[in-house]
Amino acid sequence: MNQKNNLIIGVIIALLVVASYNVDANPIEFVEGLPNLGIVAEELVQVDPKYVPTALWAMFETIQMAFIGTVVGVAISLPLSLFAARNLNSKFVYAPMRAILAAIRTFPSILWAILFVIMVGLGPFAGVLAIIMYTIGFVAKLQYESIETIDSDPVDAVSSIGVSKWQLIRYVVIPESAPHLLSQFLYMFDYNVRQTSILGLVGAGGIGFYIINYIKFFEYGKAAIFMIVVLITVLAIDWASVKIRDKYIIKSQHGQEVSIKTKSK
Amino acid sequence: MEKKSLNDSQNFSFILTKKIIQMNDVWTSYDSKSYALEGVNLSIDRGTNYAIVGQSGSGKSTLLKLLNGMMVSSKGTIKVDYLTPNTNDKKFKKMMHTIGYIPQNLGLIKNSTVLQNVLIGALPRLNKIQSLFNKFPEDEINEAKKIISQVGLKGKENRKAYMLSGGEKRRVAIARALMQKPHILLADEIVSELDHVTSREIMDLVADAQKRMNLTAVMVHHDMQLALEYANRVAVIKEGNKILEIGVEGDTIVDFQTGDMTTDEIMEMYSSESKK
Ligand SMILES: Nc1ncnc2c1ncn2[C@@H]1O[C@H](COP(=O)(O)OP(=O)(O)O)[C@@H](O)[C@H]1O
Ligand SMILES: [Mg+2]
Repeated sequence: MNQKNNLIIGVIIALLVVASYNVDANPIEFVEGLPNLGIVAEELVQVDPKYVPTALWAMFETIQMAFIGTVVGVAISLPLSLFAARNLNSKFVYAPMRAILAAIRTFPSILWAILFVIMVGLGPFAGVLAIIMYTIGFVAKLQYESIETIDSDPVDAVSSIGVSKWQLIRYVVIPESAPHLLSQFLYMFDYNVRQTSILGLVGAGGIGFYIINYIKFFEYGKAAIFMIVVLITVLAIDWASVKIRDKYIIKSQHGQEVSIKTKSK
Repeated sequence: MEKKSLNDSQNFSFILTKKIIQMNDVWTSYDSKSYALEGVNLSIDRGTNYAIVGQSGSGKSTLLKLLNGMMVSSKGTIKVDYLTPNTNDKKFKKMMHTIGYIPQNLGLIKNSTVLQNVLIGALPRLNKIQSLFNKFPEDEINEAKKIISQVGLKGKENRKAYMLSGGEKRRVAIARALMQKPHILLADEIVSELDHVTSREIMDLVADAQKRMNLTAVMVHHDMQLALEYANRVAVIKEGNKILEIGVEGDTIVDFQTGDMTTDEIMEMYSSESKK
Protein backbone atom coordinates (compact mmCIF):
# COMPACT_ATOMS: atom_id res chain seq x y z
CA MET A 1 0.00 0.00 0.00
CA ASN A 2 2.65 2.45 1.12
CA GLN A 3 4.98 1.32 -1.61
CA LYS A 4 2.23 1.93 -4.15
CA ASN A 5 1.80 5.47 -2.85
CA ASN A 6 5.54 6.12 -3.10
CA LEU A 7 5.48 4.87 -6.66
CA ILE A 8 2.60 7.19 -7.56
CA ILE A 9 4.36 10.18 -5.98
CA GLY A 10 7.57 9.26 -7.83
CA VAL A 11 5.76 9.08 -11.17
CA ILE A 12 4.07 12.44 -10.56
CA ILE A 13 7.40 14.10 -9.75
CA ALA A 14 9.03 12.58 -12.85
CA LEU A 15 6.16 13.82 -15.05
CA LEU A 16 6.45 17.26 -13.42
CA VAL A 17 10.15 17.50 -14.29
CA VAL A 18 9.67 16.28 -17.87
CA ALA A 19 6.71 18.59 -18.47
CA SER A 20 8.53 21.60 -16.95
CA TYR A 21 11.49 20.96 -19.21
CA ASN A 22 9.20 20.72 -22.23
CA VAL A 23 7.41 23.98 -21.49
CA ASP A 24 10.53 25.82 -20.30
CA ALA A 25 9.18 26.26 -16.79
CA ASN A 26 12.22 27.28 -14.83
CA PRO A 27 11.82 28.34 -11.16
CA ILE A 28 15.14 30.17 -11.26
CA GLU A 29 13.94 32.35 -14.10
CA PHE A 30 10.83 33.10 -12.04
CA VAL A 31 12.86 34.33 -9.10
CA GLU A 32 15.18 36.32 -11.36
CA GLY A 33 12.13 37.91 -12.98
CA LEU A 34 10.65 39.17 -9.72
CA PRO A 35 12.52 42.52 -9.73
CA ASN A 36 10.80 43.29 -13.08
CA LEU A 37 7.59 43.73 -11.10
CA GLY A 38 9.38 46.58 -9.34
CA ILE A 39 9.79 48.30 -12.68
CA VAL A 40 6.05 47.96 -13.33
CA ALA A 41 5.31 49.43 -9.90
CA GLU A 42 7.70 52.32 -10.57
CA GLU A 43 6.03 53.06 -13.89
CA LEU A 44 2.63 52.71 -12.29
CA VAL A 45 3.15 55.61 -9.88
CA GLN A 46 4.36 57.81 -12.74
CA VAL A 47 1.25 57.23 -14.91
CA ASP A 48 -0.91 60.26 -15.54
CA PRO A 49 -4.19 59.88 -13.56
CA LYS A 50 -6.10 60.97 -16.65
CA TYR A 51 -5.98 57.31 -17.76
CA VAL A 52 -8.14 56.26 -14.85
CA PRO A 53 -11.46 57.47 -16.38
CA THR A 54 -10.56 55.69 -19.63
CA ALA A 55 -9.87 52.51 -17.70
CA LEU A 56 -13.17 52.82 -15.83
CA TRP A 57 -15.04 53.41 -19.06
CA ALA A 58 -13.40 50.36 -20.67
CA MET A 59 -14.32 48.33 -17.62
CA PHE A 60 -17.91 49.56 -17.86
CA GLU A 61 -18.04 48.41 -21.48
CA THR A 62 -16.66 45.04 -20.39
CA ILE A 63 -19.33 44.68 -17.69
CA GLN A 64 -22.08 45.51 -20.17
CA MET A 65 -20.76 42.92 -22.61
CA ALA A 66 -20.65 40.32 -19.85
CA PHE A 67 -24.14 41.32 -18.75
CA ILE A 68 -25.70 40.98 -22.20
CA GLY A 69 -23.82 37.73 -22.79
CA THR A 70 -24.95 36.27 -19.47
CA VAL A 71 -28.61 37.33 -19.73
CA VAL A 72 -29.02 36.15 -23.33
CA GLY A 73 -26.95 33.01 -22.73
CA VAL A 74 -28.97 32.01 -19.67
CA ALA A 75 -32.25 32.81 -21.45
CA ILE A 76 -31.28 30.51 -24.34
CA SER A 77 -29.90 27.78 -22.09
CA LEU A 78 -33.11 27.41 -20.09
CA PRO A 79 -35.29 25.96 -22.88
CA LEU A 80 -32.34 23.88 -24.13
CA SER A 81 -31.83 22.40 -20.67
CA LEU A 82 -35.50 21.33 -20.57
CA PHE A 83 -34.82 19.18 -23.62
CA ALA A 84 -31.60 17.80 -22.16
CA ALA A 85 -33.06 16.68 -18.82
CA ARG A 86 -33.40 12.91 -18.61
CA ASN A 87 -36.43 13.01 -16.33
CA LEU A 88 -38.48 15.05 -18.83
CA ASN A 89 -37.60 13.55 -22.21
CA SER A 90 -37.07 10.37 -24.11
CA LYS A 91 -33.56 9.30 -25.02
CA PHE A 92 -34.09 10.46 -28.59
CA VAL A 93 -34.56 14.02 -27.40
CA TYR A 94 -32.08 14.37 -24.56
CA ALA A 95 -29.15 12.45 -26.10
CA PRO A 96 -28.72 14.69 -29.19
CA MET A 97 -29.32 17.82 -27.09
CA ARG A 98 -26.61 16.78 -24.64
CA ALA A 99 -24.22 16.06 -27.51
CA ILE A 100 -24.78 19.55 -28.93
CA LEU A 101 -24.25 21.17 -25.54
CA ALA A 102 -21.10 19.12 -24.95
CA ALA A 103 -19.77 20.25 -28.33
CA ILE A 104 -20.46 23.90 -27.42
CA ARG A 105 -18.62 23.45 -24.13
CA THR A 106 -15.45 22.08 -25.72
CA PHE A 107 -14.58 25.55 -27.04
CA PRO A 108 -13.12 28.00 -24.53
CA SER A 109 -14.57 31.49 -24.85
CA ILE A 110 -11.43 32.89 -26.47
CA LEU A 111 -11.79 30.46 -29.39
CA TRP A 112 -15.45 31.42 -29.79
CA ALA A 113 -14.28 35.04 -29.83
CA ILE A 114 -11.82 34.35 -32.66
CA LEU A 115 -14.58 32.60 -34.60
CA PHE A 116 -16.99 35.51 -34.14
CA VAL A 117 -14.32 38.12 -34.98
CA ILE A 118 -13.97 36.32 -38.31
CA MET A 119 -17.76 36.27 -38.70
CA VAL A 120 -18.85 39.74 -37.58
CA GLY A 121 -15.56 41.63 -37.49
CA LEU A 122 -13.51 43.21 -34.69
CA GLY A 123 -15.29 44.77 -31.72
CA PRO A 124 -17.45 44.10 -28.67
CA PHE A 125 -20.25 42.37 -30.58
CA ALA A 126 -17.98 39.42 -31.37
CA GLY A 127 -17.12 39.28 -27.67
CA VAL A 128 -20.77 39.31 -26.64
CA LEU A 129 -21.52 36.43 -29.02
CA ALA A 130 -18.60 34.46 -27.62
CA ILE A 131 -19.85 34.96 -24.06
CA ILE A 132 -23.36 33.90 -25.10
CA MET A 133 -22.06 30.64 -26.57
CA TYR A 134 -19.88 29.87 -23.59
CA THR A 135 -22.74 30.63 -21.18
CA ILE A 136 -25.16 28.40 -23.08
CA GLY A 137 -22.83 25.42 -22.96
CA PHE A 138 -22.10 25.87 -19.31
CA VAL A 139 -25.42 26.98 -17.78
CA ALA A 140 -27.52 24.51 -19.77
CA LYS A 141 -25.48 21.72 -18.22
CA LEU A 142 -25.80 23.11 -14.69
CA GLN A 143 -29.50 23.66 -15.31
CA TYR A 144 -30.35 20.21 -16.65
CA GLU A 145 -28.43 18.70 -13.78
CA SER A 146 -30.44 20.69 -11.28
CA ILE A 147 -33.69 19.79 -13.07
CA GLU A 148 -32.74 16.13 -12.79
CA THR A 149 -32.27 16.44 -9.06
CA ILE A 150 -35.45 18.31 -8.14
CA ASP A 151 -37.58 16.78 -5.45
CA SER A 152 -39.81 14.06 -6.94
CA ASP A 153 -42.64 14.69 -4.47
CA PRO A 154 -44.07 17.87 -6.03
CA VAL A 155 -43.64 16.28 -9.46
CA ASP A 156 -45.61 13.20 -8.35
CA ALA A 157 -48.26 15.22 -6.56
CA VAL A 158 -48.90 17.54 -9.49
CA SER A 159 -48.64 14.99 -12.28
CA SER A 160 -51.17 12.82 -10.44
CA ILE A 161 -53.69 15.63 -11.07
CA GLY A 162 -53.39 14.77 -14.76
CA VAL A 163 -51.87 18.08 -15.87
CA SER A 164 -50.08 18.37 -19.21
CA LYS A 165 -46.33 18.01 -19.45
CA TRP A 166 -45.93 21.72 -20.20
CA GLN A 167 -48.01 22.68 -17.20
CA LEU A 168 -45.81 20.42 -15.08
CA ILE A 169 -42.71 22.18 -16.39
CA ARG A 170 -44.22 25.65 -16.08
CA TYR A 171 -45.64 25.21 -12.57
CA VAL A 172 -43.34 22.67 -10.90
CA VAL A 173 -40.02 22.10 -12.65
CA ILE A 174 -39.15 25.74 -13.29
CA PRO A 175 -40.22 27.08 -9.87
CA GLU A 176 -38.42 24.21 -8.13
CA SER A 177 -35.17 24.80 -10.00
CA ALA A 178 -35.43 28.61 -10.01
CA PRO A 179 -33.30 29.17 -6.91
CA HIS A 180 -30.48 27.36 -8.67
CA LEU A 181 -31.04 29.49 -11.74
CA LEU A 182 -30.43 32.71 -9.81
CA SER A 183 -27.25 31.39 -8.27
CA GLN A 184 -26.10 30.08 -11.64
CA PHE A 185 -26.76 33.48 -13.17
CA LEU A 186 -24.68 35.23 -10.50
CA TYR A 187 -21.88 32.71 -10.78
CA MET A 188 -21.86 33.00 -14.57
CA PHE A 189 -21.96 36.81 -14.58
CA ASP A 190 -19.04 36.93 -12.17
CA TYR A 191 -17.11 34.47 -14.33
CA ASN A 192 -18.06 36.22 -17.57
CA VAL A 193 -16.75 39.59 -16.37
CA ARG A 194 -13.34 37.97 -15.94
CA GLN A 195 -13.56 36.21 -19.29
CA THR A 196 -14.69 39.33 -21.12
CA SER A 197 -11.69 41.17 -19.68
CA ILE A 198 -9.38 39.05 -21.81
CA LEU A 199 -11.43 38.79 -25.00
CA GLY A 200 -9.85 42.07 -26.14
CA LEU A 201 -6.65 40.09 -26.71
CA VAL A 202 -8.20 38.75 -29.90
CA GLY A 203 -9.93 42.02 -30.79
CA ALA A 204 -13.34 41.15 -29.44
CA GLY A 205 -13.80 44.33 -27.38
CA GLY A 206 -13.61 45.07 -23.69
CA ILE A 207 -10.85 46.25 -21.39
CA GLY A 208 -8.39 43.55 -22.54
CA PHE A 209 -8.00 45.40 -25.81
CA TYR A 210 -6.29 48.30 -23.99
CA ILE A 211 -4.19 46.04 -21.83
CA ILE A 212 -2.78 44.07 -24.75
CA ASN A 213 -1.97 47.24 -26.69
CA TYR A 214 -0.12 48.90 -23.81
CA ILE A 215 1.85 45.73 -23.28
CA LYS A 216 2.76 45.61 -26.96
CA PHE A 217 4.23 49.12 -26.65
CA PHE A 218 5.96 48.35 -23.34
CA GLU A 219 3.74 50.78 -21.41
CA TYR A 220 3.54 48.52 -18.39
CA GLY A 221 2.41 51.24 -15.99
CA LYS A 222 -0.70 52.02 -18.03
CA ALA A 223 -1.41 48.34 -18.52
CA ALA A 224 -1.14 47.90 -14.75
CA ILE A 225 -3.72 50.64 -14.09
CA PHE A 226 -6.21 48.83 -16.30
CA MET A 227 -5.41 45.53 -14.63
CA ILE A 228 -5.97 47.02 -11.18
CA VAL A 229 -9.37 48.28 -12.33
CA VAL A 230 -10.22 44.73 -13.44
CA LEU A 231 -9.07 43.36 -10.11
CA ILE A 232 -11.13 45.79 -8.04
CA THR A 233 -14.22 45.29 -10.20
CA VAL A 234 -14.02 41.52 -10.02
CA LEU A 235 -13.62 41.67 -6.25
CA ALA A 236 -16.61 44.02 -5.99
CA ILE A 237 -18.83 41.77 -8.12
CA ASP A 238 -17.71 38.76 -6.15
CA TRP A 239 -18.62 40.48 -2.90
CA ALA A 240 -22.00 41.63 -4.25
CA SER A 241 -22.95 38.18 -5.51
CA VAL A 242 -22.13 36.61 -2.16
CA LYS A 243 -24.46 39.18 -0.55
CA ILE A 244 -27.27 38.48 -3.02
CA ARG A 245 -26.82 34.74 -2.68
CA ASP A 246 -27.00 34.96 1.13
CA LYS A 247 -30.11 37.04 0.99
CA TYR A 248 -32.16 35.14 -1.59
CA ILE A 249 -30.80 31.66 -1.94
CA ILE A 250 -29.39 30.45 1.35
CA LYS A 251 -32.57 31.53 3.08
CA SER A 252 -34.90 29.58 0.84
CA GLN A 253 -32.82 26.44 1.10
CA HIS A 254 -32.56 26.43 4.86
CA GLY A 255 -36.23 27.11 5.36
CA GLN A 256 -37.40 23.99 3.58
CA GLU A 257 -38.55 21.86 6.46
CA VAL A 258 -39.96 23.50 9.54
CA SER A 259 -42.36 20.80 10.65
CA ILE A 260 -43.39 20.76 14.28
CA LYS A 261 -42.10 17.56 15.82
CA THR A 262 -43.42 16.73 19.26
CA LYS A 263 -43.84 13.56 21.21
CA SER A 264 -46.84 11.53 20.06
CA LYS A 265 -49.31 10.77 22.86
CA MET B 1 -81.87 1.61 -24.88
CA GLU B 2 -84.66 3.71 -23.54
CA LYS B 3 -84.02 7.03 -21.92
CA LYS B 4 -84.68 7.13 -18.20
CA SER B 5 -86.27 10.00 -16.37
CA LEU B 6 -83.96 12.18 -14.29
CA ASN B 7 -85.28 10.73 -11.07
CA ASP B 8 -84.79 7.15 -12.19
CA SER B 9 -81.30 7.69 -13.42
CA GLN B 10 -80.28 9.29 -10.13
CA ASN B 11 -81.52 6.29 -8.20
CA PHE B 12 -79.96 4.00 -10.71
CA SER B 13 -76.56 5.67 -10.46
CA PHE B 14 -76.73 5.68 -6.68
CA ILE B 15 -77.13 1.94 -6.57
CA LEU B 16 -74.49 1.35 -9.20
CA THR B 17 -71.89 3.60 -7.70
CA LYS B 18 -72.21 2.85 -4.01
CA LYS B 19 -68.85 1.12 -4.26
CA ILE B 20 -66.44 3.67 -5.60
CA ILE B 21 -63.19 1.72 -5.26
CA GLN B 22 -62.68 -2.01 -5.65
CA MET B 23 -59.55 -4.09 -5.58
CA ASN B 24 -59.64 -7.76 -6.39
CA ASP B 25 -56.65 -9.97 -5.71
CA VAL B 26 -54.21 -7.17 -6.52
CA TRP B 27 -50.50 -7.96 -6.75
CA THR B 28 -47.78 -5.49 -7.55
CA SER B 29 -44.02 -5.17 -7.34
CA TYR B 30 -41.23 -2.67 -7.84
CA ASP B 31 -38.73 -5.29 -8.94
CA SER B 32 -38.71 -8.94 -9.91
CA LYS B 33 -37.54 -10.08 -6.48
CA SER B 34 -40.58 -9.53 -4.29
CA TYR B 35 -44.15 -8.28 -4.25
CA ALA B 36 -45.09 -5.07 -2.45
CA LEU B 37 -48.75 -6.15 -2.42
CA GLU B 38 -49.73 -9.81 -2.41
CA GLY B 39 -53.35 -10.31 -3.38
CA VAL B 40 -55.17 -7.43 -1.71
CA ASN B 41 -58.97 -7.30 -1.78
CA LEU B 42 -60.85 -4.25 -0.69
CA SER B 43 -63.93 -2.30 -1.45
CA ILE B 44 -64.71 1.25 -0.44
CA ASP B 45 -68.10 2.92 -0.26
CA ARG B 46 -68.72 6.29 -1.81
CA GLY B 47 -68.48 9.18 0.64
CA THR B 48 -66.76 7.23 3.37
CA ASN B 49 -63.47 7.77 5.09
CA TYR B 50 -61.30 4.71 4.65
CA ALA B 51 -58.09 4.35 6.61
CA ILE B 52 -55.08 2.18 5.93
CA VAL B 53 -52.80 1.34 8.82
CA GLY B 54 -49.68 -0.77 8.96
CA GLN B 55 -46.01 -0.84 9.71
CA SER B 56 -43.53 1.00 7.61
CA GLY B 57 -42.79 -0.97 4.43
CA SER B 58 -46.06 -2.90 4.57
CA GLY B 59 -47.29 -1.49 1.25
CA LYS B 60 -49.59 1.38 2.25
CA SER B 61 -48.12 4.00 -0.05
CA THR B 62 -48.01 1.48 -2.87
CA LEU B 63 -51.72 0.82 -2.44
CA LEU B 64 -52.56 4.52 -2.72
CA LYS B 65 -50.43 4.93 -5.83
CA LEU B 66 -52.31 2.11 -7.52
CA LEU B 67 -55.55 4.03 -7.07
CA ASN B 68 -54.51 7.10 -9.05
CA GLY B 69 -52.50 5.29 -11.69
CA MET B 70 -49.08 6.40 -10.44
CA MET B 71 -48.30 2.67 -10.27
CA VAL B 72 -49.73 -0.28 -12.16
CA SER B 73 -50.64 -3.65 -10.77
CA SER B 74 -49.09 -6.82 -12.13
CA LYS B 75 -52.11 -8.98 -11.36
CA GLY B 76 -55.73 -8.53 -10.29
CA THR B 77 -58.32 -5.88 -11.05
CA ILE B 78 -58.71 -2.37 -9.73
CA LYS B 79 -61.74 -0.24 -10.41
CA VAL B 80 -62.05 3.39 -9.48
CA ASP B 81 -65.50 4.59 -10.49
CA TYR B 82 -65.63 1.75 -13.04
CA LEU B 83 -62.35 2.69 -14.65
CA THR B 84 -59.06 0.86 -14.37
CA PRO B 85 -56.39 3.34 -13.25
CA ASN B 86 -54.11 3.96 -16.21
CA THR B 87 -52.51 7.30 -16.94
CA ASN B 88 -52.47 6.57 -20.68
CA ASP B 89 -56.22 6.17 -20.82
CA LYS B 90 -57.94 9.42 -21.82
CA LYS B 91 -61.00 8.73 -19.69
CA PHE B 92 -58.97 7.93 -16.60
CA LYS B 93 -56.68 10.90 -17.17
CA LYS B 94 -59.78 13.09 -17.06
CA MET B 95 -60.83 11.43 -13.82
CA MET B 96 -57.40 12.17 -12.32
CA HIS B 97 -58.37 15.86 -12.43
CA THR B 98 -60.76 15.16 -9.55
CA ILE B 99 -58.63 12.71 -7.58
CA GLY B 100 -56.66 14.60 -4.96
CA TYR B 101 -53.38 12.97 -3.99
CA ILE B 102 -51.21 14.14 -1.11
CA PRO B 103 -47.93 12.22 -0.97
CA GLN B 104 -46.10 11.52 2.27
CA ASN B 105 -43.95 14.65 1.98
CA LEU B 106 -46.88 16.70 0.66
CA GLY B 107 -45.26 17.73 -2.61
CA LEU B 108 -45.70 21.47 -2.20
CA ILE B 109 -43.69 23.78 -4.42
CA LYS B 110 -41.41 25.30 -1.82
CA ASN B 111 -40.62 28.57 -3.52
CA SER B 112 -44.18 29.27 -4.61
CA THR B 113 -46.73 31.02 -2.44
CA VAL B 114 -49.68 29.43 -0.68
CA LEU B 115 -52.03 30.86 -3.33
CA GLN B 116 -49.88 29.59 -6.22
CA ASN B 117 -49.71 26.15 -4.66
CA VAL B 118 -53.47 26.00 -4.19
CA LEU B 119 -54.18 27.26 -7.73
CA ILE B 120 -52.31 24.24 -9.09
CA GLY B 121 -55.45 22.25 -8.30
CA ALA B 122 -57.25 24.31 -10.96
CA LEU B 123 -54.67 23.70 -13.72
CA PRO B 124 -56.74 21.08 -15.55
CA ARG B 125 -59.47 23.70 -16.00
CA LEU B 126 -57.14 26.20 -17.70
CA ASN B 127 -56.69 26.51 -21.45
CA LYS B 128 -53.25 26.57 -23.06
CA ILE B 129 -52.92 30.34 -23.24
CA GLN B 130 -54.04 30.84 -19.65
CA SER B 131 -51.64 28.27 -18.32
CA LEU B 132 -48.73 29.54 -20.41
CA PHE B 133 -49.13 33.07 -19.05
CA ASN B 134 -50.06 31.98 -15.52
CA LYS B 135 -53.38 33.77 -15.98
CA PHE B 136 -55.97 32.19 -13.73
CA PRO B 137 -59.55 33.42 -14.20
CA GLU B 138 -60.84 35.74 -11.48
CA ASP B 139 -63.39 33.21 -10.20
CA GLU B 140 -60.71 30.53 -9.80
CA ILE B 141 -58.60 32.94 -7.75
CA ASN B 142 -61.61 33.77 -5.59
CA GLU B 143 -62.36 30.08 -5.17
CA ALA B 144 -58.74 29.45 -4.12
CA LYS B 145 -58.92 32.27 -1.57
CA LYS B 146 -62.17 30.88 -0.22
CA ILE B 147 -60.62 27.42 0.23
CA ILE B 148 -57.51 28.93 1.81
CA SER B 149 -59.65 30.59 4.45
CA GLN B 150 -61.66 27.37 4.92
CA VAL B 151 -58.46 25.53 5.84
CA GLY B 152 -57.56 28.32 8.24
CA LEU B 153 -54.82 30.10 6.32
CA LYS B 154 -56.54 33.43 5.70
CA GLY B 155 -53.95 36.20 5.43
CA LYS B 156 -51.17 33.79 4.49
CA GLU B 157 -52.02 33.64 0.76
CA ASN B 158 -48.74 35.22 -0.24
CA ARG B 159 -46.46 33.41 2.16
CA LYS B 160 -43.88 31.12 0.52
CA ALA B 161 -44.54 27.44 1.23
CA TYR B 162 -41.13 26.84 2.77
CA MET B 163 -41.86 29.42 5.46
CA LEU B 164 -44.88 27.55 6.82
CA SER B 165 -45.07 25.29 9.83
CA GLY B 166 -45.71 21.56 9.41
CA GLY B 167 -49.40 21.94 10.21
CA GLU B 168 -49.79 24.88 7.83
CA LYS B 169 -48.11 22.95 5.03
CA ARG B 170 -50.66 20.16 5.43
CA ARG B 171 -53.43 22.72 5.22
CA VAL B 172 -52.01 23.98 1.93
CA ALA B 173 -51.78 20.45 0.54
CA ILE B 174 -55.41 19.82 1.49
CA ALA B 175 -56.46 23.14 -0.03
CA ARG B 176 -54.69 22.25 -3.28
CA ALA B 177 -56.57 18.94 -3.38
CA LEU B 178 -59.91 20.67 -2.60
CA MET B 179 -59.21 23.12 -5.42
CA GLN B 180 -59.44 20.12 -7.77
CA LYS B 181 -63.13 19.82 -6.81
CA PRO B 182 -62.24 16.25 -5.92
CA HIS B 183 -64.52 13.24 -5.62
CA ILE B 184 -61.69 11.15 -4.13
CA LEU B 185 -58.94 12.23 -1.78
CA LEU B 186 -55.86 10.04 -1.30
CA ALA B 187 -53.63 11.13 1.57
CA ASP B 188 -50.42 9.41 2.64
CA GLU B 189 -49.54 9.81 6.34
CA ILE B 190 -50.23 13.51 6.29
CA VAL B 191 -50.70 13.78 10.04
CA SER B 192 -48.05 11.31 11.18
CA GLU B 193 -45.45 13.84 12.22
CA LEU B 194 -47.83 16.25 13.91
CA ASP B 195 -48.71 16.62 17.56
CA HIS B 196 -52.00 15.34 18.94
CA VAL B 197 -53.93 18.62 18.69
CA THR B 198 -52.71 19.65 15.25
CA SER B 199 -53.33 16.23 13.69
CA ARG B 200 -56.94 16.36 14.89
CA GLU B 201 -57.37 19.85 13.47
CA ILE B 202 -56.15 18.59 10.11
CA MET B 203 -58.40 15.51 10.25
CA ASP B 204 -61.37 17.76 11.10
CA LEU B 205 -60.67 19.77 7.95
CA VAL B 206 -60.94 16.61 5.88
CA ALA B 207 -64.11 15.58 7.72
CA ASP B 208 -65.62 19.03 7.06
CA ALA B 209 -64.80 18.80 3.37
CA GLN B 210 -66.40 15.34 3.26
CA LYS B 211 -69.58 16.81 4.73
CA ARG B 212 -69.68 19.66 2.21
CA MET B 213 -69.04 17.59 -0.91
CA ASN B 214 -69.59 13.95 -1.71
CA LEU B 215 -65.95 13.11 -1.11
CA THR B 216 -64.45 9.69 -0.55
CA ALA B 217 -61.23 9.80 1.46
CA VAL B 218 -58.61 7.07 1.54
CA MET B 219 -56.02 7.98 4.14
CA VAL B 220 -52.89 6.19 5.27
CA HIS B 221 -52.23 6.57 8.98
CA HIS B 222 -49.53 5.72 11.41
CA ASP B 223 -51.72 5.86 14.48
CA MET B 224 -54.47 3.23 14.90
CA GLN B 225 -56.25 5.31 17.53
CA LEU B 226 -56.61 8.26 15.19
CA ALA B 227 -57.66 6.02 12.31
CA LEU B 228 -60.46 4.44 14.36
CA GLU B 229 -61.57 7.86 15.54
CA TYR B 230 -62.02 9.31 12.06
CA ALA B 231 -62.53 6.47 9.62
CA ASN B 232 -65.60 4.40 8.83
CA ARG B 233 -63.34 1.48 8.05
CA VAL B 234 -59.74 0.73 8.88
CA ALA B 235 -57.73 -1.76 6.87
CA VAL B 236 -54.63 -3.17 8.51
CA ILE B 237 -51.89 -4.09 6.04
CA LYS B 238 -49.02 -6.38 6.85
CA GLU B 239 -46.27 -7.30 4.45
CA GLY B 240 -48.42 -6.68 1.41
CA ASN B 241 -51.52 -8.41 2.76
CA LYS B 242 -54.67 -7.02 4.25
CA ILE B 243 -54.90 -8.86 7.57
CA LEU B 244 -57.76 -6.97 9.19
CA GLU B 245 -60.60 -4.68 8.30
CA ILE B 246 -62.28 -3.10 11.27
CA GLY B 247 -64.55 -0.24 12.24
CA VAL B 248 -66.18 1.23 15.30
CA GLU B 249 -69.89 0.64 15.90
CA GLY B 250 -71.12 2.21 19.11
CA ASP B 251 -68.41 1.39 21.57
CA THR B 252 -67.23 -1.86 20.09
CA ILE B 253 -64.74 -2.55 17.40
CA VAL B 254 -66.23 -4.69 14.67
CA ASP B 255 -64.36 -7.11 12.45
CA PHE B 256 -65.46 -6.72 8.85
CA GLN B 257 -62.88 -9.01 7.36
CA THR B 258 -64.03 -12.37 8.72
CA GLY B 259 -66.97 -11.08 10.73
CA ASP B 260 -66.41 -13.24 13.78
CA MET B 261 -63.64 -11.71 15.86
CA THR B 262 -64.43 -9.92 19.08
CA THR B 263 -63.01 -6.53 19.99
CA ASP B 264 -60.56 -8.14 22.36
CA GLU B 265 -59.38 -10.64 19.77
CA ILE B 266 -58.93 -7.85 17.24
CA MET B 267 -56.93 -5.68 19.59
CA GLU B 268 -54.84 -8.63 20.64
CA MET B 269 -54.06 -9.53 17.06
CA TYR B 270 -53.30 -5.93 16.14
CA SER B 271 -51.06 -5.27 19.11
CA SER B 272 -49.15 -8.53 18.70
CA GLU B 273 -48.62 -7.69 15.03
CA SER B 274 -47.44 -4.18 15.70
CA LYS B 275 -44.95 -5.30 18.35
CA LYS B 276 -43.03 -7.44 15.88
N1 LIG C 1 -39.50 3.06 -5.38
C1 LIG C 1 -39.36 1.83 -4.86
N2 LIG C 1 -38.48 0.94 -5.42
C2 LIG C 1 -38.34 -0.30 -4.91
N3 LIG C 1 -39.01 -0.77 -3.85
C3 LIG C 1 -39.89 0.05 -3.26
C4 LIG C 1 -40.11 1.39 -3.73
N4 LIG C 1 -41.04 1.97 -2.94
C5 LIG C 1 -41.38 1.05 -2.02
N5 LIG C 1 -40.70 -0.10 -2.21
C6 LIG C 1 -40.83 -1.33 -1.40
O1 LIG C 1 -42.18 -1.76 -1.44
C7 LIG C 1 -42.62 -2.14 -0.16
C8 LIG C 1 -43.81 -1.31 0.27
O2 LIG C 1 -43.43 0.04 0.36
P1 LIG C 1 -44.44 1.20 0.72
O3 LIG C 1 -45.69 1.01 -0.03
O4 LIG C 1 -43.73 2.49 0.51
O5 LIG C 1 -44.67 0.95 2.27
P2 LIG C 1 -45.32 1.89 3.38
O6 LIG C 1 -45.91 3.07 2.71
O7 LIG C 1 -46.33 1.02 4.03
O8 LIG C 1 -44.24 2.25 4.32
C9 LIG C 1 -41.42 -1.99 0.77
O9 LIG C 1 -40.82 -3.25 0.90
C10 LIG C 1 -40.51 -1.05 0.04
O10 LIG C 1 -39.18 -1.34 0.33
MG1 LIG D 1 -45.41 5.04 2.95
